[in-house]
Amino acid sequence: MDDFPRASLDHNIPLLVTLGIPSDESPYDASPEPAFKDQATLLRSDEPILDSDQARALLGYILDHDASDLPWNAMQDAVSKYKFRVRTAARSLLLPPRRARLPDDIGPPLSSTVLHSPFSPLSPVSPLYPDGLIDCRWLRKHQELVPSVLLSFYMLSSDPTQATLRDNRIKSDINALKNALVQSGYKTRLAVVVLGDQKRSSADGVQERLENIRKICGIDTKSFFFVPTQESQDELERIAENTLTTIYAHATEYYRDLGRHARKKRSRGVAPQPSVPPTSGTSRSLSLQDWNVRYDFKSAIFAEYRQEMDAAYRSFEQAYENLLSSEVVELIPSWSPRWNEARLLADIIAIRSLRCLLWNGQTTAAVRRWQLHRDRISDLVESRGSGTNNYGWEAWEARWATIMANLLERVKLPDLAPATLALYAQPEKAAMGDRLRPWDLLHHPGYWYHIAATHLIRRRAFALAIPEDDRRPPDSSPASKVAGKAFSYDTYMCPEPHEEYPIPGFKGTKHSELIVDCLMKARSEFQKRQQLRMAAELSLECGREYTAVQDWQSIVLLLEPLWRDMSFRTEGWLDIAEDLSWGLRTAASHVGRADLVLTIDWELLNRCFANRRNWHCNLSKSLDGIDVEFKPTVKIHDGNVLSFLSTSFVFRTEEGKAGQTAQAQLSITSNAHPGSAPIILDRLQVDFAGSIRPLVLEHKEDSAGPRRKHRDVIFSEVSLQERAGQNTEEDNPLSAAGHATTASLYGDVDLTLAPGHTLVFAMDIPLREPGEANAASTRFSISQDAFDLEYVARFQESTVPDYWYVSAASRKLMSRSNAHSIHILPRPPKMEIKQLAVPDEFYTSESIELRFELVNAEDENASTKMDVVLRGEELSPCVLEVEGHDNPCPAEAGEQESIVQGVSLGTIGTAKSTVVTLRIEPYAMSTQFELTLQATYHLESDTATSIIQTAIFQVNVVNPFEASYDLLPRLHPDPWPTLFVYEGPDADDTLVKIPKGLSQSWCLVTRYASFAAAGLLVKDVDVSIRAPPSVRCFTTKKQGLPEGGREVRPKTIEEAAFDLVAKKMSLDDRTAASLDASFIIKWSRLSDAEGPVNTTVLPVPRLNIFGIEPRVLGSVSYVRDLVVLQITIENASNHFLTFGLGLEPSEEFAFSGSKQTTLHLLPVSRRSVTYRLLPLVRGEWVRPALVVRDKYFQKVLRVIGTEGVKMDKEGFLVWVPPEEEDDVNQGGD
Amino acid sequence: MAATIPAIACLGVIGRNNNPLHITIFPSYDPKTNTASTPVRTPLQFSLLLSSSLDVFDLRLRTTSSASVSGDLGLLHAIDERLAVYGFETNTGTRLVAVIDMRGRRADARVAGGKGAAAAAVVGLREGEMKPVFKAMQTAYVKLLQNPFYDPDEHSPPTGVGGKRITSRLFAEDMRRIGETWMPGVTSL
Repeated sequence: MDDFPRASLDHNIPLLVTLGIPSDESPYDASPEPAFKDQATLLRSDEPILDSDQARALLGYILDHDASDLPWNAMQDAVSKYKFRVRTAARSLLLPPRRARLPDDIGPPLSSTVLHSPFSPLSPVSPLYPDGLIDCRWLRKHQELVPSVLLSFYMLSSDPTQATLRDNRIKSDINALKNALVQSGYKTRLAVVVLGDQKRSSADGVQERLENIRKICGIDTKSFFFVPTQESQDELERIAENTLTTIYAHATEYYRDLGRHARKKRSRGVAPQPSVPPTSGTSRSLSLQDWNVRYDFKSAIFAEYRQEMDAAYRSFEQAYENLLSSEVVELIPSWSPRWNEARLLADIIAIRSLRCLLWNGQTTAAVRRWQLHRDRISDLVESRGSGTNNYGWEAWEARWATIMANLLERVKLPDLAPATLALYAQPEKAAMGDRLRPWDLLHHPGYWYHIAATHLIRRRAFALAIPEDDRRPPDSSPASKVAGKAFSYDTYMCPEPHEEYPIPGFKGTKHSELIVDCLMKARSEFQKRQQLRMAAELSLECGREYTAVQDWQSIVLLLEPLWRDMSFRTEGWLDIAEDLSWGLRTAASHVGRADLVLTIDWELLNRCFANRRNWHCNLSKSLDGIDVEFKPTVKIHDGNVLSFLSTSFVFRTEEGKAGQTAQAQLSITSNAHPGSAPIILDRLQVDFAGSIRPLVLEHKEDSAGPRRKHRDVIFSEVSLQERAGQNTEEDNPLSAAGHATTASLYGDVDLTLAPGHTLVFAMDIPLREPGEANAASTRFSISQDAFDLEYVARFQESTVPDYWYVSAASRKLMSRSNAHSIHILPRPPKMEIKQLAVPDEFYTSESIELRFELVNAEDENASTKMDVVLRGEELSPCVLEVEGHDNPCPAEAGEQESIVQGVSLGTIGTAKSTVVTLRIEPYAMSTQFELTLQATYHLESDTATSIIQTAIFQVNVVNPFEASYDLLPRLHPDPWPTLFVYEGPDADDTLVKIPKGLSQSWCLVTRYASFAAAGLLVKDVDVSIRAPPSVRCFTTKKQGLPEGGREVRPKTIEEAAFDLVAKKMSLDDRTAASLDASFIIKWSRLSDAEGPVNTTVLPVPRLNIFGIEPRVLGSVSYVRDLVVLQITIENASNHFLTFGLGLEPSEEFAFSGSKQTTLHLLPVSRRSVTYRLLPLVRGEWVRPALVVRDKYFQKVLRVIGTEGVKMDKEGFLVWVPPEEEDDVNQGGD
Repeated sequence: MAATIPAIACLGVIGRNNNPLHITIFPSYDPKTNTASTPVRTPLQFSLLLSSSLDVFDLRLRTTSSASVSGDLGLLHAIDERLAVYGFETNTGTRLVAVIDMRGRRADARVAGGKGAAAAAVVGLREGEMKPVFKAMQTAYVKLLQNPFYDPDEHSPPTGVGGKRITSRLFAEDMRRIGETWMPGVTSL
């Protein structure tokens, strides 16, 4: 935009010139056109200039609100009510003449001669004369020379003596100004500001005086302002604001008048005649169409002054259409300078139209307008000019794109501000529905600059094609040629061919500079919007331009940062990376940056980049032709480049043990270009994280060691030697952290690596300390005569499985990931903890003894300590006894665990053993617990390292027996005591109380089974009864066990019966009683019959006796053939009870006894009824249908069988023995 | 100058790690020779174009608060009057990019489509006109993923760095077919 003439593109805002207060800022430039100076109208004021602080503050405020540099968008309208371009003049200014003089060489003016403005094509003095359309001088006249408002400042004197005099002077001065203005012919409005003097004067007098001045001078109230003295800054600003707002209305009015005037002239419909008819040139004067363009353009400009952008746009479009119509521009011959002037005017109009559109936020319309102008001009140039296939057209295209970018920068569209990160503006509503072309969406300036750059590149291409003849300066080539090329090149706003592409030795256009400038501007726009890849792309293009001008230093500066953290490489855009690398390499080799050259060469050796022809593919030749002062040392990290060397380090197994060696393989694969020179590595060092010492492989040609080759794989086994580090780097952080010493593992191998080959080195790595270890990095060192190079590759955690080479020919996939790491286990303990002969299970009530043997399998004596931990519920106390030591160690009992800690076992000699015994008190309940034995020992040779061996045992304690119980009633033989015998008081002193109450007899039958896994020997059984004090109880075992006990096999049931006789102490006590009984089994293990006798106590469910209800007991005895059935009814209650007995006849027996009878029972008494049965069947159970009924309650009582009587659901059954056993009396008592 | 209509100049599939998975370049119509024989840019320039579209993907991620449900980002940006870049992002972060050459094809080449009359008028693109392209590309990509021998982790490793390119011939053919058959107004590919 800077290429256009001054003022041609500025946004027009009303011009305000202040008079009376001097200022250095933006002075009114009175002499832009020296030609007019003698004719210019001088406006002069004789009043002294104002120099008070107040006046300066006022002017300062006005100047601050100069709107010349505001962004070109409608946002500003809301902020400020006025817009002025402010110029200051002290006391005088020159206005350009209204009428041009006729040139002297033209004869005396005819009477009919009409003089026109010097800016008009009608005046012979104007450069436009006779057929120019309009030029920037006219624009400048309005923008810079002719103010819309002249703001004159005066000071009101406060001295009463001089007041009238001074006031009159002001009046005459104002009048003089007014007259001068009228004389000048311009309709500039005059506004007056009167400032009050410093000293306060009476308010009424001032008002009067002001009114007087105003009236005398005939000034409108709206053009007359007063600033009282000593107002505060705020107040001053308010007044200034008011003043400016008011006079802005005048300014608008001024330009409206001018616009109206232009339209009036247009509507006249006749082309005015020049002052003097043209005689030179084509002697062509402007046609009506031409005049219409001029008038429309003027209307548009005046509309712009009024900030009526819509109106301006319409007028501009009208002017544009007319200008490019067949009647205006097509009539101008293309050789004439007017042709280029017309093109310039078209450009100016188009740019101003674009600004109008952007002003209103019509972004899509603006882009379309931009394209339309480009297309129109291109058509025009194609048909009338010199076509579009030349550098001039491309120069214009580039300019046209740049203009859009510049416009966008000036307009500052809020939608496209960098902070919004928006790349393009959304289309305005009007354009929304259409089929939008993507480019119709207004993109940010970066894109426009980029387009400009591409056009500039094309322009250069055209320029380079200029034939040499045309490139000669005009003075050195024949005149005919100069004339010839004047028409064959489009030189609109661009240099002549001899400057566009000068022959060597002459100055001319520097295309690369222009291109780089555009690209850099674009790049900064893209960077502002976080389009970093785009910016990188532009840097790359810039680099190409620098290459063209061989500015190597700039390339390095520009591309090196890009190359260093290049996202293209890591993201896999290798073609881009390659392009960048080559560009940088070329520059670096010229600048002498050996490090860059080497690093880039290292990277480019990778096969994934294309191999360039003419490239040596040999690292050792990289520095050929580069001057370096000293031998460079280059360090390359794998993160920075895409190296052609890939390494993997694999441990055979996931785990290893300290003190042993681990099999490992290092494989190096070269992905260099096939055909490139083999690389010879001098030294290769693998550093480990963890406790493994660095591994150093050194190159030795024809090194010893088996070496097998199969296709591309070379497999060799390396024997490593541990040596103190000789020349390991001191700055190696890994070894410094891992080791106090710098001992390394050394091996000699052949490290020649041909492209595509893989070197595999198999080795045994000694492991030292427990922990995690992994191969951290590999360092390749290459020493050449010309340079030293070190390449460091880190091993990454990866999911890609590595290979394990079984041999050169075969390899297998490692199934685990991260095969470069190994878990080193501690040195394995060789102390053994053995449990000595134990039974399968332990039983409750048995004291448990566990014996363990500690066998020292180490090669040395070991001083050992022992910890024992028992974990379980309700642990019994336990003690640990050590063989050969006297005092056992009791365990510290806790809730969940009991611990014996730190029992010293002394030194156990190698291959010797020690036995410890753990004794645990018997458990009452079945349980289980976990026993942990931990032997901590250290060898005599290495007392610092403790070695730990742990053994865990599960111990189960189970119940050996379970039992079930039956309590059967029996008939107590003794008669009941009677109520009628007085018991007498108990003698307190008697030791043994004699029970005097009721007694009952029972039989307790116990069945016990062994649940032990092994056979047990039951030595004795017993019942222990705990009776309440009111009851006395006796038990007798019915059958004793055989001498030496009974052997009880697992899962067999044994029975033991006990007679139980209970007596109440007192007859008065007739409540029920319950007995707590327990069953006691004394036993020992069958396997260990002589061992201790264990006592298992099994609780018996509570026994309830002495019920208060009457009971009916049936007992049976046999007398020869007869069965004697005795029914005994016991009434233990305090009531008199009556029972009815009835025995039904049966087919199974005959009986004697009362078939039906009534029995009366006194309180606390019992009675028996006897039936004698003659059984009719033998060897069977018979069921006597005997019913005992409580007469009072009408309740049938159940007959409870005693010995020899069987009970079932329906009643009781009596056994009739078979015949031959008749005489045997079964069980009768 | 013969009337031209938009055509696909380049289709790109970019992996989760911003790595190029696949690039197909199509020749554009050249008014000088009146044939569609050469692409409008060099392969390197297309690579740069696709790579710079990643900027826009990143920007969109930053500026739009909630990710677009469909994944269709529409117009990413236009490079100049001819080339415009459209983008689509799948749920797994794979980006599909279509570079459109607004003058990529001669309008009368469309006679086969039977809409020759309308063709000449096509200068711009409607809102959803790229949808079928991305739908077809996604279908092709899904088809590729269904191939048990295609390991997506190999092509976009979870480590976030690099990845292999797609080598499937079928996929490449699909891309070629999409690029060659698409033209404005086509609703399914």
